[in-house]
This record gives sequence, structure tokens and C-alpha cells, in this order.
Amino acid sequence: MKKTKLGEFEELVLLTVAALQQDAYGVEIKRELETRLRERLSVGSIQSALKRMEEKGFLTSAFGEATLKRGGKRKRIYYTTSHALKVLEEIRAIRADLWRSIPLTASELKMI
Amino acid sequence: MSAPENIQPPKWPLRLMRTIIKTEYLEEIEGDMEEIFQDNLHQYSIPKAKRIYTWEMLKLLRPALLRNFKSSYTFTTYAMYKNYFLIAWRNLIKKKAYSAINILGLGVGIACCFLIFTFVQSELSYDTYHTKRDRIYRVTHGTRVSEDPRNLSKEGPSWVWGNAPVGPTLKNEFPEIEKVVQFSGRSDILLTNDDKKYQENGVFFMDSTVFDVFSWDLLQGDPKTALVNPYSIVLTQSTARKYFGNENALGKTLKGSDSPGRANAGQYIVTGIMADLPSNSHFKFNALLSLSTFKNSNPEVFDMWDYADFYTYFLVKEQFDEAAFKEKLPEFVKRQRKDPKTRYVIELESLKDVYLKSDADRQPGETGSLSNMYIFSIIGLFILAIAMINFMNLSTARSMERSKEVGIRKSIGAARSSLISQFLGESFVIVSLSMITAVILVVISLPFMTGLTGKEFEPGILIQWKSIPIILGAMVLIAFVAGSYPALVLSGFSPVHVLKGMTKSTGGVNLRRGLVVFQFSLSILLIAVTIIVYTQMNHLLDKDLGFDKESMLVIDYNYDEAVNAKSQLLKTSLEENPSIVSVAFSRSVPGSFFPYAGTEIETKNGEMKMMGQPIFEVGIDFIPHFGLKLVAGRSYSREFPADSSSALVINEAAAKQYGYKNAEEIIGKKFSQWGRKGVVIGVVKDFNFTSLHQKIEPLTLPFQAYASRYLSIKVKSKDLTKTIQQVGAVWSEIEPHRPFLYSFLDEDFNRQYKDDFIFRKLFTTFSCLAIAIACLGLLGLATYMAEQRTKEIGIRKVLGADFRTIVLLLSSDFIKLVVIAILIATPIAWYVMNRWLEGFAYRVQISLWIFVLAGLIAFLIVALTISYQSIKSALMNPVSSLKSE
Repeated sequence: MKKTKLGEFEELVLLTVAALQQDAYGVEIKRELETRLRERLSVGSIQSALKRMEEKGFLTSAFGEATLKRGGKRKRIYYTTSHALKVLEEIRAIRADLWRSIPLTASELKMI
Repeated sequence: MSAPENIQPPKWPLRLMRTIIKTEYLEEIEGDMEEIFQDNLHQYSIPKAKRIYTWEMLKLLRPALLRNFKSSYTFTTYAMYKNYFLIAWRNLIKKKAYSAINILGLGVGIACCFLIFTFVQSELSYDTYHTKRDRIYRVTHGTRVSEDPRNLSKEGPSWVWGNAPVGPTLKNEFPEIEKVVQFSGRSDILLTNDDKKYQENGVFFMDSTVFDVFSWDLLQGDPKTALVNPYSIVLTQSTARKYFGNENALGKTLKGSDSPGRANAGQYIVTGIMADLPSNSHFKFNALLSLSTFKNSNPEVFDMWDYADFYTYFLVKEQFDEAAFKEKLPEFVKRQRKDPKTRYVIELESLKDVYLKSDADRQPGETGSLSNMYIFSIIGLFILAIAMINFMNLSTARSMERSKEVGIRKSIGAARSSLISQFLGESFVIVSLSMITAVILVVISLPFMTGLTGKEFEPGILIQWKSIPIILGAMVLIAFVAGSYPALVLSGFSPVHVLKGMTKSTGGVNLRRGLVVFQFSLSILLIAVTIIVYTQMNHLLDKDLGFDKESMLVIDYNYDEAVNAKSQLLKTSLEENPSIVSVAFSRSVPGSFFPYAGTEIETKNGEMKMMGQPIFEVGIDFIPHFGLKLVAGRSYSREFPADSSSALVINEAAAKQYGYKNAEEIIGKKFSQWGRKGVVIGVVKDFNFTSLHQKIEPLTLPFQAYASRYLSIKVKSKDLTKTIQQVGAVWSEIEPHRPFLYSFLDEDFNRQYKDDFIFRKLFTTFSCLAIAIACLGLLGLATYMAEQRTKEIGIRKVLGADFRTIVLLLSSDFIKLVVIAILIATPIAWYVMNRWLEGFAYRVQISLWIFVLAGLIAFLIVALTISYQSIKSALMNPVSSLKSE
């Protein structure tokens, strides 16, 4: 699990990238997360999470198209790697496992 | 929404981002930021959108996004320089003694240079504050040797002091002259305001045009009219304060005594207050009286071409041709004197030259000495050279220690040029530290410079904007000169050679020796010169002047008629005191001022011959009182009442001037002088009535019973203070209107040598410093040599060398060098000092013992310096020096 260490915020960003597919670039990721989390996020926090994850091998990126709104600067589109998907799966499995064990234990305790 | 795309995000956050965010992220993040900004423009007001943008930008400052400055390529040479400084610093710290010698030596050297520079600067600044100085000239008066108009050589130096009519006539004849200002003085006058009564020494009777020519500030009063009316007086601020305190002096009156031969006593009205004179003025005063006061009292002298009592300065117009003007002067003189054979000449001197370059006599104020300035500049450079040689010697001698470093740097790939710059940089570091030391030393020692030179120096002279480039320039120059040789030597090592293990620093031993010889030649030169200056000055002070100058009290009462009227009473009352030997009156005293007179005396073939010479008018008892010896005839005597009008005493030189080798022969010859006729009754032995710079001139000592200026009192007393009190009591009783001001004749006389004393003091101080710095360097060198030879000494001791042998071994090298230095310095000192002594009419012989002494002193100092090191190494236990490898 050590190599796959993923922060809570990073995990959210990573999931967003996976969900957005072809649209996964900085501003869109920010917008998506802001609506889902219902809080304001800074460009810096999103960007540093993206860069960190790229370094760790969860993401790859490529330049996309440029728009007038961006002052002629190109977007960088992020893609999840297979490694990232595997790690996400793993995390989900661990969490699901944990969730499953909660009601059981609780009900058993109550019965005593 | 109105086309929000036209609104740009704020500039400076963008610029900040571009400089610190990693370049590869820049395009993306910049784009994102802009997109958000544009979105926000739709949502919020423009300022708010900008605010959000800025805030977001600041939040981008996260480690993951920032550039890594440490690994940045552009800063790699910075690391190298950092290393250079580190190494330089470590070397300084590691060898504290050498660093201290270097820094202190250079610091003292630079400080000396600064001080001398300050002195020279202040000498050069004389009269530069006059805004019209380029257009101000003055007239000097001279006499040619012959009547032949083509022979231009003059009889003696010209005088600045001269006649009055030359001024107005020049102005009338030459349209290129704009303003003429004439003045007379220096006068001494007693000024009184109620109970405030002071003798003012040095006031001038000044033309009303003075403020048009000279740039002196008249703070109160009208510069055009202040000095027009008779009995007007302009005071300097401090004089005004002296008499009137804080009151406004303008319009008040001051009672002024008479100024003999110039103006009668009267009530002076204060018509102006001027700022105190700048200290760099070639003549100075406390007050100016209007020249018309003089003209009112003695109008006739203003038309006399033979009468000398005036200084004539003039201001010329812009387009003035100096050379052309000078050519017109001989014709002008002939026209005015109405005599084609006249020997009188006038010359011009520019205001720029009057302080340093004038060779004329009878100046209105002090003059400086150009040659002293050169001498001190040279000494300053000598000291600096000695200090720089220390630096060069120590750095090259220690080159062994640095050779490994040079080898490694070179094999890693350092170019020779970068090594040179490294070592130059090191010398720059040391020079910078010395500069700081020097500045501190200068600030500490400036007050002492006042004591040395008799001039006021303010630290302000150095702390100026314009001195900063000079200091920086000097630093770079010194660092370069002192550092370039070591830098060349050190950077020249071959890496293979030094890394294999070079055992001895090969190059530069001879050069180092040469430099030490040079240093010590300079030091010995300075020692010898100092000794010669001392012996000459002692000679001046101890020489028998031919008159009694010891315990002679002099009261200068400035021809005060009230005093002269009671002179007999004064004399008898004073002579009642048993501790007073005798009392006499005279118009002058030795070392003071002597007017010139033309005297006709009968020659051997019976005709009357006119000759000029100084004149020393004396009272009846003066000759025995001053201990003058008669070689022929007799002195003035009360037994011969006719003496007061028909007798004359002269000196031997005057007798010779009229062609009498034997003084006896001139006794009884007829004379005629200043309207008096009679016979020569006595000849006194020559005595030095002026400074020993001059030969004894012919002199006449006519009898002047009244109209004296000085009262001299010969005292023989154990308790001088008490006697002076008694004299003061008698004075105040008989002459209550005049303050009792006294001085001692020997002190007054020796004041003529003020410049020589300054010269001696400066010379002594700076030569001591020079020698100290040279020894400091030698100490460093000796210490280093001894360290180098520790093993050698150990082995010699083991093999049986005794203490004496080793001390000799270590000292002989240096001793040899000092001997060579003595041989070099001696002839130079001899030559230079012969030139200096030519300025004295009475001089000591330069004898051999002076050079022997100078050499011996240098030798002893060197021996003392190196003996400590030699003895220390000689006493060292060979076990400890040999066991470590």
C-alpha cells in the first residue's frame, strides 16, 4: 500500500479526472469539484495535486487545444493511468470491506 | 456583458508568476488563470475579478510549482566566487599575524596618504572661493639691476607692497581693467567700545571697491558704500560679537586709536558686518577701515611714487590678454615716472599664484610652500609604497602554502586568468579592510594634524561625495598594484610541479630582496633627512645671533603717543625694580618688521653715495641694552645732545656696502638720511636681525628718541611670573588706557621658523611611521623564514650548532640587505638635503656621522625586529621540531 499512497484531496482530484475523461483540464476539474464539494477551491491546490500525482505516476498529460478565452494558451488534458485505476479500485475495495464489517459488528455487540 | 475579453488581468501578479513558477508549467497555469479570470468577469465586477486573480496567484506559491533556484544553471559562477571569498577569508583567519601586518601596514600607509592628501588639498584650496579669481591680479614692484632697459634682471625679489598712484593710473590707462582695489596694512589699532578695549592686530585700510573684486559676504550694510566715507569700519562677525555681544553692531561707533603714518585717531562708524574670512584666504583680518580714512589723514602719500604702503589688486574684464598686457607695462612705467632710465618695474601676479607660487617679499599675509607640498606628497607615496611592498613580500613568500591549492584548481580546469582574478580579488579584500582601518585612523588623527601643521582640518574635508570615487579608485589601484605581482607568481605555478611536491618557493627571492632593500633605502633616507633637519633646526635656535634674546620681555604698544610721552617715567619706574636689568625703546625688535631707507654716506673718495638698506630706529640705550657689540666708534650717548639729530650708527655690513673694509675708517664720515644730516659715530658688529634664512643685510640704526613702538625689558629673575606681574602693575599705573600685552623676544624671533618647525614635525612623524611599517613587514618576513627553516635549524642543532651560529644564520640575510640599503640611501640623502639647506643662509655642514647614525639606527631597529624571531627559533628544542613529519 506504501507506493500507492494517495491523499484524500488527491483521490478526489484523481476521481474527477477519471470522470471528466477528455474534458479533464485544470479549470474544468476545479469547476467540477467545486460543484460537487460545494466549496471554493484555489487553482494552486488543484495544480499542486495534479503535479504531485503526475510525479507519482497516477496521471499523464498532453496539451490540448487553445482558446481565445485562455489568451491563446493551450489546455493540458490529464489522463488517468492504469496504475491509478488499479489503486482507485484497491482503495474502493478496502473501503467497501471496511463498510461491510461495520453493521455486522455493531449488531452483534447489541445482541450481547 | 460588454466584451470582457478586452479586459486584461492585472500585470504584476502575472509577472511574478512568470519569474517563479516552473517554466514547463507556465503555459497551462497561465491559461487556467486567465480562463477563470474571464469567467469571473461575467460573474463579478472588474475590480473583484482582479482581486480574486491576484489572490489566487499568491496561492500558487507552493513548493510543487516553484522553480528550483539552487540547481539553476545561471548561478554556477556564483558558487566559484563564493568559494574564492571563502578561501580568502579562511586564509585571513588562519594566519592572523600576517593578516594583521598586511591590513595594519596598508591601513597606516593609506591613512598617511589621506592625511597628506588633505593637507595638500587645503593648501591648493587657497583663495579658490573667490568667484572672479581667474580675473583677479595684483601688482608687484621691483627694481632692475641696471638702467639699461634691455636688462630685465631684478635686484632682489619684488615686493607686493608698493606705492599708491600705480592703482588709479593703471585703471585710467588700461580700459581692460574693470576695478582696482588698494589696501594698506597690516595696521594695529586699539579699538574701544565703553569698557571693551582690544588691540586689533592686522586690520587693513581698504578701498570701497573690495566687495566688487573679492567674494566676501557682507551680511549687513551696503557693499557699494560701506567703505566709502572716512572713519567707516566693517567688522567680521566674530569681531562684532567681541565688541557688541549680541547687539546689532551696525551703525554703532568704535573709538579707534591712531595708526601711525596712516590715520589719526577717531570715532569709527560700523557700516557693515561681514562673514568671518574663510581660513583658506591668503590674507586675513578682523576688521576693515575705509582707505579714505588714510587719505584724509595723509593725502600726500597717495601721489608719491616712491612711497610704499599699499597693496594693489585689480579685476580685469572677461577678454583680458595677459601676455599683451604685460608687454605694455615697461612703457607704462616710463611714461608715468617721466624717466626713460628708471629702474622701477611692475609685474603681475595672478590670484591663483599668490599663495603657493609667489616669490615676492612683503606679502599681505601668509604664503604656502609649494616645495613642502611636493615633499609631503612624495613622503606619502613612499609610505604607501613601503606598505604595498610588505604586502607583496608576504604574499609571495607565503606562495608555497598556496601552491597546492593552485595546482588543484588548475588541474580541475581553472584558467590562469581566473586564478589571477582570484588573487587580485584577495588583495582587494585585504585592501578594503585596510581602507576601513585607514578611515578610522584618519578620523582619529585629524585633530593631531592641526597640531602638526597649524591648520584647522575638519573631517568634512574627507567626507564628501566627490571623495567616494577617489577612495574607490585608490582602493582598486592599490589592490591592483600590490596584488598583481603575487597574482602573477601564484597563478604561474605548474600543476605537475607543485602537486608532485615543490619544496622551496623558487621565483621571486631576488625580487623580494630587492624590494626589502628598496624599503629600507627609503626608511634610511627618511631617518637621515630627519636627523639633518633636526641638527639644522637646533643650529638655528642655538646660533649666537649677536644680540641678547634671552629673558627679554617685549611690550608692543604700537607707537601710542600717550605711551611715548611718558617713556622716561616708564623707564625709571621699571628700572627701580631690582630684577629688571635695563629698559629700552625702539621702533622695531629683531625678527619683526624693518622699513627700507635710502642713505647717503661719504665714500673714501669724498663723494656722497646713495644706497638702500633696512632701517632699525632705536632709542638711546638700545645698543648696550640688546648687547650689541661695537667694533668701532661709540654708541648714542646722553653726553652728546647732538646725537638725537646728527649721529648715525650702522652695522659692519653697511660699512662694507659703502666700501669700507675697516670699520674704523667710516667713523666721522658724513651721512644724510630721511632729511637728517650728520656723521657716522659708530659701527656695531653684524647681528641677525632677521631669520637665519637670510644673510645679514647692511643696516642703519638711527637714533629715534620718541615715536617708538616697542618697549623691551631685560629681566634677570628667578621668579619670572612675579616680575611680569610687577611690570604689569607699573604699566597699568602709568598707561591705564592700554592693555598690558607682552611677549618674549626669543619666542617671537623663533616664530619666524614656524614653517620650518612644521616641516620638522611632519617629517619626523611620517618617517617614524614609514620605518614602523617597514619593520612590521620585516617582522612578518623574518617570522615566515624562521618557520620555513624549523627543520633545518633542528638538524643543525643536533649536529652541534650553538645558539650564536643560528641567530647569525637567520639574521645575516637581512643584515646584508640593510647594509646595501644604507649604501644606496646615503648619497641620495646627501644630495636632497644639500638642496634643502640651500634655503638657509646659515646652515650646518652635512657630516658623515649623520649617515653613520642613520644607518646604525636602521640597523638596530632591524636587529631588534628580527632578533626575537631568530632567538626564539635558536632556543627551540630540536626534538620538537624534528619529531613531527
